[in-house]
Amino acid sequence: MPVACDPSDAVLLRRTARGDEASFATLLRRYERRFYGVARRLLGDDRDAEDAVQLAFLRVFARAGEYRDGFAGATWLYRILTNVCIDAYRKRRAEARALGTRPLPASAPGPRAERVDLEAALARLPAEGRVVLLLRYVDDLPYREIARVRGITVNTVKTHLRRAKLLLRRHLEEPSR
Amino acid sequence: MTTDRDESRIRAVLGDVTPPPGLAERVLRAVRARRDAAAAAALRFDIVATPDGIARIRLGGEGRIEAAGARARRWADRARDELGEYLAGLRTFFTVPLDLSGVARFQRAVLASTQTIPFGELRAYRWVAERAGSPAAVRAVGSALGGNPVAPIIPCHRVIRSDGTLGGYGYGLPMKERLLRLERETPVLVACTTTRVLCRRGCERERRVPEERRVVFASLAEARLAGYRPCPICRPAA
Repeated sequence: MPVACDPSDAVLLRRTARGDEASFATLLRRYERRFYGVARRLLGDDRDAEDAVQLAFLRVFARAGEYRDGFAGATWLYRILTNVCIDAYRKRRAEARALGTRPLPASAPGPRAERVDLEAALARLPAEGRVVLLLRYVDDLPYREIARVRGITVNTVKTHLRRAKLLLRRHLEEPSR
Repeated sequence: MTTDRDESRIRAVLGDVTPPPGLAERVLRAVRARRDAAAAAALRFDIVATPDGIARIRLGGEGRIEAAGARARRWADRARDELGEYLAGLRTFFTVPLDLSGVARFQRAVLASTQTIPFGELRAYRWVAERAGSPAAVRAVGSALGGNPVAPIIPCHRVIRSDGTLGGYGYGLPMKERLLRLERETPVLVACTTTRVLCRRGCERERRVPEERRVVFASLAEARLAGYRPCPICRPAA
């Protein structure tokens, strides 16, 4: 049962743990786009996404010493990112509800009408479901890897994806049929 | 049932996102700044305790403790530990009791509603005024919070103007910003992937969870759905 495991992530993490900034910078460039993609789509706001990515990498730098072999480097990195993003999502959602301002924007960049519709549908997913969806369809992580990243079972991953698809299909196909 | 068409639609709607230019450089600068700042002195505070609880805290103090009697001393010690953990990003809630007997009624009502604002979240002055039973007294709420004797245990730094600007703070705006940033960066609900227990950050059980077994959840409900249960010690809600 091979996992999407890039051994050089692990090496870079170990070097980062020893304070090697160049290795950290390599990791940063390797994951920058993927991290930003998840954060931006979950949080729906450029500034919040950049804050989350920055915080995730700060944590990677500070905690690299706690990285252990036997855990793929990518899994460890995605775990840190999704932990940061889920927490930011929680705080922003509750705050928006209470203040009646800054509603959590669900829109992804892009003008098409279908995209707006689908986005509205996806926004109804719980935070966990959205993260699972992003890891699967944006980052193409296998089910087992997503389960490891989020500390959930493969069945829970599948449940989240099934619900997302159901929601989408209902949303999309009702008007046309 | 799923189809490839659904999946390609999902991929299309999720679209492509490009990181803003210079993101990696900004992160590197932040990491360097943080490393340099780590050597800077931690924030200290003075504590005044009575047998009933904590009566006064002064942020930026010299670490002095005033407590008459063993009971007061115990509260002061607990407050010192909890404040230290809070300021280090290791704690999201306080268990030490407060003694607000010297505080006037209106201010006590304002402080009581402020105390219900969850860690890491913001509320408007108007929200506090409504909860304190005086919806028109928004300005008075501002001064009542300015005189909060037990900041940051009663989190008046979480109260801002409804236009999103910070408003005031008894210890100055840089301190308010510092506390808000600290709370943005500290996760609230942390679970362990082996024990399947969900804790509030700062719980004694949470502190024993190693990094690679930590998962953060958005709510107790979502954690339950994923097969986690709430810790009986810190009892996370919502």
